Amino acid sequence: MTALVALVQINAQRSKTESPFAAVATSLFAIAQTAITAATDGVQTGVSAIAALPGLERDNARLRAENAALIADNARLHELAAAYAAQAGIRISLDLYHGIGARVIGFPPENESRAVTIDRGSNAGVHRDDGVIAEQGIVGKVASVGPFTSTVVLITDYTSRIPAVVRRGRWWGIARGNLASVRLEYVSQDAPLKVGDVVVTGEGRSFHSGLPIGIVSGTQRGDATLYQTAVVTPAVNLGALDRVVVVSR
Amino acid sequence: MLGAVAVQATLVHDVAIRGVVPSVVLVVVVWYAIRVDVLRAAVYGLAAGLCEDALSASTGAAWTISTLCAAIVAGLLSRGFFADSVPLAAGVTVIATLLRALLFWTCMSLEGYPPGLGALHAREALLAAAFNALLMIAVTVVARRFGTRAA
Repeated sequence: MTALVALVQINAQRSKTESPFAAVATSLFAIAQTAITAATDGVQTGVSAIAALPGLERDNARLRAENAALIADNARLHELAAAYAAQAGIRISLDLYHGIGARVIGFPPENESRAVTIDRGSNAGVHRDDGVIAEQGIVGKVASVGPFTSTVVLITDYTSRIPAVVRRGRWWGIARGNLASVRLEYVSQDAPLKVGDVVVTGEGRSFHSGLPIGIVSGTQRGDATLYQTAVVTPAVNLGALDRVVVVSR
Repeated sequence: MLGAVAVQATLVHDVAIRGVVPSVVLVVVVWYAIRVDVLRAAVYGLAAGLCEDALSASTGAAWTISTLCAAIVAGLLSRGFFADSVPLAAGVTVIATLLRALLFWTCMSLEGYPPGLGALHAREALLAAAFNALLMIAVTVVARRFGTRAA
């Protein structure tokens, strides 16, 4: 029986599909994970709110003023955009990505990979290899999809490979996960990379080009190698993920 | 066991130290394995590993195989000993953790996981063994205390 179960699991993994055991288990555990996450988030939010009470009124006043200024700017920019569109004869699409909003509800049980579980699955339109982004940049790719949940492998996972470009000089490389950071590999030795350079996605299977991956925090060159490597700090705080968006290509 | 898997996949992540988390699932499996026969321990380990594989990304059957073997070894090692012995429970937990990590990463490498992290995984396994042993000691002491009170 053990051999049968193992063979079913290995076959599903090799054919990049979900095994029946996994589909049933993820569906059942989705309820428990969602409930536990909601409960812990509620407790954390309550404690944080109580601790932050003294500064809340000050922050509130500041934010109201900023909001009023932003509303005025937004209205002015919309008018400018509409005028430009009318002049240039183009139609502006404000919804660049028709994404699926999701929430992080769990993690790999033994932390063996840098991944998260989100509360959207095939029923919501999520597919394998879909890209996942957050407000600051890319988060990772969907590795497996169940009916109600999906597993997202983060860009810092050792198996993650994403085509990447250094924005300043359009130098191409491969962004590979390195557990705590991302390494930009196979960049030409001629490219004058600097600390602070912004690294974005290249056109690939999971992401459109131009999405932020991170910022170069160090470079490694060898005298006898064709390529240089850059250490990239991810743009998204992957240790504090909460809400993400799944984008399909 | 299902509760342990649910807790492992949600709350335990927050107590990670140097990327290593204690394995509530393995502690529960070893706890059960040292109290029953080897066949029941194997079935229990199989079920626990299957649940962990279902919640992981691209592990195939690695947790299933490694947790099954760890449960079998735990059942075999505890023969002839009292199940509520703290040194036995802690020692078996350490051995089960190391064996499970060895088998897991062997399976992962056979399934195509990129090489190069052997030393890191070995260090993580030693740290995980220490965590799990401490957790098992705490659970055994508490269970013994409650058992004494109930008696």
